Amino acid sequence: MKQLTRKSIGEFASKNTGYVTFAAMVVILGVLTGGGSLRLLSWQNLAIAEAVRALAALGVGIIIITKGIDLSLGQVVGLCACVSASLAQTPDYVSSLYPGLNLPVIAPILAGVGVGALFGLLNGFLVAYGKLPPFIATLGTMTIAAGLQLIYTHASTVGSLKNEYKVIAQGFLGPIPNMVIYVAIAVLFLWVLMNHTKIGKRIYAIGGNPTAARVSGISVKFETMKVYLMAGVLYGIAGVLLSSRLGLANALTGDNMELDAIAAATVGGVSHSGGVGKVGGIVVGVLTLGLINFGMTYLGVDSYYQLLVKGFIIIAAVYLDMRRAA
Amino acid sequence: MSSENPYILEMQNISKSFPGVKALKDVSFRLKPGTVHALMGENGAGKSTLMKCLFGIYMKENGEIHLNGEPANFKNSREALEHGVSMIHQELNVVPDQTVMENIWLGREFTRRIGPFHLVNHRKMAEETRQLMKQLEMEIEPEGRMGSISISHQQACEIAKAVSYNASVVVMDEPTSSLSDKEVNHLFKIIRSLREQNVAIIYISHKMSEIFQIADEISVMRDGELITTAPASELDEDKLINLMVGRDMSQRFPIVEAVPGESVMQVKNLTSSDPKSFKNVSFDLRRGEILGIGGLVGAQRTELVESIFGLRATVEGTVSIEGQDAGIQTAKDAIHCGMGLITEDRRGAGIFPQLNIIENTSMPSLDRLTNKVGLLDHKTLIQKSTEMNEKFKTKTPTMETKIRSLSGGNQQKVIVARWMMTLPEILIMDEPTRGIDVGAKYEIYCIMAELAAAGKSIIMVSSEMPELIGMSHRIMVLCDGRKTGELEGEERTQENIMRLAARFGHDDFKEEEAS
Repeated sequence: MKQLTRKSIGEFASKNTGYVTFAAMVVILGVLTGGGSLRLLSWQNLAIAEAVRALAALGVGIIIITKGIDLSLGQVVGLCACVSASLAQTPDYVSSLYPGLNLPVIAPILAGVGVGALFGLLNGFLVAYGKLPPFIATLGTMTIAAGLQLIYTHASTVGSLKNEYKVIAQGFLGPIPNMVIYVAIAVLFLWVLMNHTKIGKRIYAIGGNPTAARVSGISVKFETMKVYLMAGVLYGIAGVLLSSRLGLANALTGDNMELDAIAAATVGGVSHSGGVGKVGGIVVGVLTLGLINFGMTYLGVDSYYQLLVKGFIIIAAVYLDMRRAA
Repeated sequence: MSSENPYILEMQNISKSFPGVKALKDVSFRLKPGTVHALMGENGAGKSTLMKCLFGIYMKENGEIHLNGEPANFKNSREALEHGVSMIHQELNVVPDQTVMENIWLGREFTRRIGPFHLVNHRKMAEETRQLMKQLEMEIEPEGRMGSISISHQQACEIAKAVSYNASVVVMDEPTSSLSDKEVNHLFKIIRSLREQNVAIIYISHKMSEIFQIADEISVMRDGELITTAPASELDEDKLINLMVGRDMSQRFPIVEAVPGESVMQVKNLTSSDPKSFKNVSFDLRRGEILGIGGLVGAQRTELVESIFGLRATVEGTVSIEGQDAGIQTAKDAIHCGMGLITEDRRGAGIFPQLNIIENTSMPSLDRLTNKVGLLDHKTLIQKSTEMNEKFKTKTPTMETKIRSLSGGNQQKVIVARWMMTLPEILIMDEPTRGIDVGAKYEIYCIMAELAAAGKSIIMVSSEMPELIGMSHRIMVLCDGRKTGELEGEERTQENIMRLAARFGHDDFKEEEAS
């Protein structure tokens, strides 16, 4: 059965466009750079750079599976980063937001994740119970989060973070960056959730046909709310890790991250018509876009041209995906 | 030459195959001007494929098409339309937020020139539309919004649009599927007036009674072949069914052997929270009973059963299961009380199109298939779903096939399997055989009979009177949201159902009965 005939390879390729594209890109990049780009150090850099985006893309990915969208992602990640960072500044730093404050490192983590969860609940409530179109609801909360960041930070940078805080994201476990471990845990958690629990099956059902889901005894509103809440928690974690990695946070920290995350989820095969998308696919989507960035930078492509290439790749990925679905 | 040709449209020796299937085998179809020609056959018999070849949606492999004696090979439906061949689809293609006239003249608006600009001439458009409506004896305001007129009026507009292109051939695909009986009569009036204007109509429908009311000629297709073309007067329902199925179907319904036992569900004075919906409906359901609910479109049958199932709100009355008020507020409650609901709208409220058969089957049963840690028991889930679908003979390549690629009948079997997996005592089936071909219908009936024999109780809402009479122990009839009677045993006749269904209001039915 497992014989590699031409047909079975073709079938595998068409079912796993994402993986195949990714593998092809690795090979192409390896050849172009004479193997230079494939050394361990580069891989670590890529993984660290994409880890935060991966968390964000997983969050917005499950929302898109329910036929929703979340524009507030970037600003919420930024706000979580600012709040978290403000509680992790070194006590003797003069322009600290709370001079003299010296909390254990768990406090900024909880605060950051908590803010993310609150925004998740708010988005979920507006979409599920308020019946607002997700685009509009999250456009509103995006603006609110952007405003809150500026108010909270007095439009300045929250810097001079404690070393114990910075090591959360900057540390290594042997050769493996901590960031990669966090993302791996999140991916594993979501993979189990989406494939091996009733919540996951219900998320797909709601995205595929909400009316049929209701008839099947699923509380569509409550489950939708849960999805936005989970996404909010993921944004919170992303915000904490981002500020820890950068060692600072300000109102620009999360800017435009929603676009990258939505693009990655989409390239990874999550369908905007709802009901379709895989956790593994989202990860591959993030890596593909990351690899494009990294590869082009390595090859010395002008960053303005990089944007053009990225744009075309997003369009091509969705175009191929839609043709496959039709 | 063309003046002597008795046919407006001739399709000769048309063949078409798809990978693995010969969809059309040497089909020859001829249409006379000024006639209504019914095209019948089970789903998958090749009717739509034939029409798609006519409209250039599929490329035919063989054969010729002549319109008015001249070769006609349309590349798309737009080109067909310009040659006077148009199609009214089952699902109407209207732009709801534009006006009636904008819809009719879409893409060829009348313009007038003011300086360098070509501006839309709304006045001329309205006038032309009015004239068109007059010609067809329709009363539709040209400047009304398309989305705010009834489905039957929207359909009438599509017909008007076809006429505005000087249509000589109009194809209608299941045109009455969403119309009430009153609206059907109006549609037939329009069709007859088209016929008088020498327009030929290809009428695709599953509904026998309609065919015999309106058709002059009938062609029957089966397995990609055109079996026969005959004047309608030479055929009757039984002959037609035989031709369509190709086997003797003297038995359209299986024998329901179950004998109803004690009462399992009591509905008392149930009143909808919507004042325009049902009021004060009471009835009992017994073990092993098939209770039919009949009535005209608008009788609020679907609203009633969906309220019982917790999908719609009620203001008064109770639903009791075995004597106890069940207090059902949501579908989840209803499922816990041992109920299942197969909805009328399979695509809109039944299937999860992108999910596979296992997922579609197991969705309401997930609670029972989750272990203590919160993980799904995949092994049992797959095994149970497979068993259920095998039991109901769902035809599918694999259990991982997405449900949207199955036929309507097989999708319906998956939905039946879905509810049987929840081990219900009461199964509500709203129009269980709508849009399913004759063969699959019989299988669904057999499943119903088996379930009743196994002591399950079934409520079946149906608009097809033979189905109500053939399958139910008892028939409850609603009219305008009120229960007008119950029929049992020998009382279950079409005349009795009609009398109860038209108790209030519907004047046109009283007239029909009188004549």
